[in-house]
Amino acid sequence: MPINLKTLTIQFAHEAMKRGDFTAVQLTEAYLGEIANKNKEINAYLEVFADAIDTAKAADLKFKAGTATMLTGIPFGIKDNILIQGKVASAASKILEKYHAPYDATVIEKLKAEGAVFLGRTNMDEFAMGGSTENSAYGSTKNPHDVSRVAGGSSGGSAAAVAMNGALVSLGSDTGGSIRQPASFCGIVGLKPTYGAVSRYGVMAMGSSLDQIGPFGKTVGDCEIIFNAIKGKDVHDGTTIDSSTYPIINQVGKKKPVIGVPWHFLGGDGIDPVVMNLFKAALASFEKAGYEIKEIKLPNISYSLPVYYILMPAEVSSNMSRYDGVKFGLHVDGKNGIDDYFETRHSGLGREVIRRILLGTYVLSSGYYDAYYNRANAVRKMITDDFLKAFGSVDLIATPTAPSPAFKIGEKVSDPIAMYLEDIFTVTANITGMPALSIPCGISKVDDKELPIGLQLTARHGDEKTLFTAGKEFLGEI
Amino acid sequence: MSIGVKVFVGTTCVKHMSKLRIRKPSLESIFVACYTLPMITKLELENLANLARIKLTDEDKDSFVKEFDSVLTYIDQLKKADVPMDAEGRVGAVRNITRLDEVKSISLDDRERLLDEAPHRVGDFIAVKKIL
Repeated sequence: MPINLKTLTIQFAHEAMKRGDFTAVQLTEAYLGEIANKNKEINAYLEVFADAIDTAKAADLKFKAGTATMLTGIPFGIKDNILIQGKVASAASKILEKYHAPYDATVIEKLKAEGAVFLGRTNMDEFAMGGSTENSAYGSTKNPHDVSRVAGGSSGGSAAAVAMNGALVSLGSDTGGSIRQPASFCGIVGLKPTYGAVSRYGVMAMGSSLDQIGPFGKTVGDCEIIFNAIKGKDVHDGTTIDSSTYPIINQVGKKKPVIGVPWHFLGGDGIDPVVMNLFKAALASFEKAGYEIKEIKLPNISYSLPVYYILMPAEVSSNMSRYDGVKFGLHVDGKNGIDDYFETRHSGLGREVIRRILLGTYVLSSGYYDAYYNRANAVRKMITDDFLKAFGSVDLIATPTAPSPAFKIGEKVSDPIAMYLEDIFTVTANITGMPALSIPCGISKVDDKELPIGLQLTARHGDEKTLFTAGKEFLGEI
Repeated sequence: MSIGVKVFVGTTCVKHMSKLRIRKPSLESIFVACYTLPMITKLELENLANLARIKLTDEDKDSFVKEFDSVLTYIDQLKKADVPMDAEGRVGAVRNITRLDEVKSISLDDRERLLDEAPHRVGDFIAVKKIL
């Protein structure tokens, strides 16, 4: 029977395959068909895996044997910085163009155990550095809603794959908003879990105190299912947590979660008026559903971008030092051993990557370390304390996900600051380590195209549950 | 800022500094102190690139110096933050965890996969140019 990819969810697909309405192979073939039609234009996938059908066949055997679980046979797009053993993982960079992953990331191991299907590796900003996927060494990813616009970044490929019906769900990574912002631009749901909730083992590190892996889906329910499958303490990642790490949620004591809004931070004229209108309308519909909306103050929130653009490049400069052409990846010969590094990194790393490495080297260098890095860490603590204080009287904090809908390709790529300002609402969740969800809350009509807009909810550490409940209620899933 | 204004400001600086009985600085250092410097010089950028082991072309250096200006001006906002004197940065509830310092062997297959990725492999070794 023809499968309606537009409205499919994990639950629906699972039950359909259990009943025998269609097979896992048919489901994978349906997505591969969409990819064949659309990927040339959208460029969501850098590579479609030739063995996707084989994995689907194995999934069908599980259904026959009655051992299928929720994610068996479910087709995923996987971001190009997540290692799948034997497959190329290039982080959309030339320096890893021919690099084959020697092992599985923990998240991949967990999905493989359930029999999930990996359709291919999705495009991204090189080494996850960017907010538009224009920094990919393999071309940008177009927004399926308007191909003259960006899909967002850095997980643009993963978001576009789901939005174009080229995957049911996908995995991305989020260091400063790289799941939530493309989710917002592409009109789908994206989750950045609590820092430590999902293992980073086997995922190329960008900012080690900021990175988290997370799901994209068309529904909050799908993101919840994937989160529950990939989360957990991992012996390979010392920063992982379990359910005992953050104490039982201190409910504010109302029947429904209380939503706090930092209005003082939302008054700028850098925010698109349509975004603000849809944001207010979203709050109104929460109020109608019985949620109390409260004003909160986050006194140091205006420092979050400067803090982020000091700490993140610092960690980047350290993490990127491993790409030297010695043990793996591109190698370009120089005059001597040390010169090999200079040549290799010059040839293999893109402009934005080099910019951030240099910036990080600067803020960590002697004489500047105190003024920049140490100071940023102290302010990071202050911002986190602001949020913790606010969570004494609210259960969720709401802002728009991004200050605008998807911008035109090429519009911001030559102005780093303009690009960085796109992260203004998303970086706080990475700075504080709190979980945050982006859900579609409406569209903006521009040049007779319909551009999606996202609402972002942030919750206390470890409280993904409240995000899911509120998100599902907002989207009418419950 | 024109040269004339710089000189004016420079001599004013000297006047005030003499009032404070500070040794009269050289004219050169006055200009340096009063002229608005870019936030990073080409030489400083070259030093950073050297530390980061990345070769840069001359055009790269020129455009990076310009871009750094805007980024550094932006992050300098942090100076305004009211950071308490005894502030100690910490990252959430996460703290260092250690494991036993023991060698774990891996399978021959895994070993092959790792060695296979080396750009220059010689038998069971990864080859590099001599260091000394």
